[in-house]
Amino acid sequence: MDTLEICYMSAGDLSKLVKNKEVSPVEIIDAHLTRIEATEPVLNSFITLLAEESRTAARQAEKDIQAGRYKGPLHGIPVGLKDLYNTGGVRTTSGSKIFDTFIPEEDCTVAAKFQQAGAILLGKLNMHQFAYGPTGENPDYGHMHNPWNPEMVTGGSSGGSGSAAAAGQCTITTGSDTGGSIRIPAALCGIVGLKPTYGLVSRWGLTALSWSLDHPGPMVRTVEDAAITMNIIAGYDPKDVASAKVDIPDYTTALTGDVRGLRIGMPKEYFEAPLDPQVRKAVLDAVSMLESMGAEVKEVSFPMFNQSQAISSTVLMAEATAYHRDLLEKDGYQLYEPVRQRLEAGLFISAADYLRAQQARALLDQEGRRLLDDVDLLAGPTEPVTAPKLLAPRVLAGEQEIGVVGALTQYTRPYNINGFPAISVPCGFSDTGLPIGLQLAGKPFDELTVLRAAHAYEQATDWHTRRPPL
Amino acid sequence: MASEQLSREEFDLLAKLLGVDGEPAYLDELYSQVRGVYISAKNIREIDVSGAEPDMAFIPPTD
Repeated sequence: MDTLEICYMSAGDLSKLVKNKEVSPVEIIDAHLTRIEATEPVLNSFITLLAEESRTAARQAEKDIQAGRYKGPLHGIPVGLKDLYNTGGVRTTSGSKIFDTFIPEEDCTVAAKFQQAGAILLGKLNMHQFAYGPTGENPDYGHMHNPWNPEMVTGGSSGGSGSAAAAGQCTITTGSDTGGSIRIPAALCGIVGLKPTYGLVSRWGLTALSWSLDHPGPMVRTVEDAAITMNIIAGYDPKDVASAKVDIPDYTTALTGDVRGLRIGMPKEYFEAPLDPQVRKAVLDAVSMLESMGAEVKEVSFPMFNQSQAISSTVLMAEATAYHRDLLEKDGYQLYEPVRQRLEAGLFISAADYLRAQQARALLDQEGRRLLDDVDLLAGPTEPVTAPKLLAPRVLAGEQEIGVVGALTQYTRPYNINGFPAISVPCGFSDTGLPIGLQLAGKPFDELTVLRAAHAYEQATDWHTRRPPL
Repeated sequence: MASEQLSREEFDLLAKLLGVDGEPAYLDELYSQVRGVYISAKNIREIDVSGAEPDMAFIPPTD
């Protein structure tokens, strides 16, 4: 089989070939290492590549499968973890040279679950330093580059995950999402990114940015792969104080292709905010397609959306500064300057303002729940723009030039505040060939409905089959 | 509670009290960021939160 075909196969398809012994894990890993060798000088997706370790693991997986010890759909499948997921015996930098030699003693819960499932760790992925930025800048390990146009950002903070999945360097990658850090690079790199409900996937062993806003989740090329990954990584973890005790369904049962009767709300405020006309059209076309497939679409109002940036930034900055305060005092001078500035700006937030933001957060949560009494999903753009230029401070969104950080987090932050599940799925390309994402958000712990709609839309279009020109 | 506007002199004083230091260009940029923090705080103070207890985090089911 052609090695590039292997690299662009979904985990769902690849796992069938592995199970039937038509492709071996060794072939899969070799194909990906070849792809990485060819594309990494442009993309810079990895901080640590585990070439020999992954080959050794692949040989063991091959032996196990040959001996009838098949572990399931991720056995022998290459996985890349954002470099803030602790991995036992493998350095975990959080995107900073301050932790260049930090080697955790044990795996985080998600990494341990991948290991138990037989997945093969291909490497640790580049990220915005300490996950504190939405663009994918990193002076310590090099900036990340968008596979669709390397002059553009990947989005962040899980930028290496976005570029690695989009360019066929990894079959499955993971991110963490505090203000949009899974969905932003997913939209800008043209892949699927799922931010699960808060508490559904364990945060244990991940470097925190903001305890109450952090969500780990999958970044992959198909909705089916997001469902397969959720089957492995979701579930209660007593090590994580925010972990939810809920029944975990088989997420692949959502993949019916049927959206008849599904009620989709379009918050009007999403389309009153600064928005690129090409993005607007792609998103409206996507929702029209869901309607033509049998979903009921109606306009709804989400007034608290307009306060979500202020609420999110106040909570996030206060919590991030509290978490990183010792680091800031001891090693602040070693931090990327914009990250250091964000951390130091958090010192100026009063306790009263932090608590006021948490009160407002409760109101936004209530408003979101009321909206989802009437509809099953909220739909809108993931991003108001396509990928901005690397290091550009501002970007044009429709007729308004706005700051890049505010623009990239405009639509994603509300669902970090209320913890609702939200997915970004590719829904088109700009006339310059850059991807556009559709965001669908659902009720807490109703990932099945989010995945169902995203999958039905994906299967009715061919956006996910396109490949970047690398 | 933060006042609605933050002058450069007030920022410099607060920065000193908080132990924040740096080159003038760095402090200029930080001042700009902190003004953004104050604008966010002002926006939040304009929301009627009466009757709303702080939602410290979305609380997931635990049993």
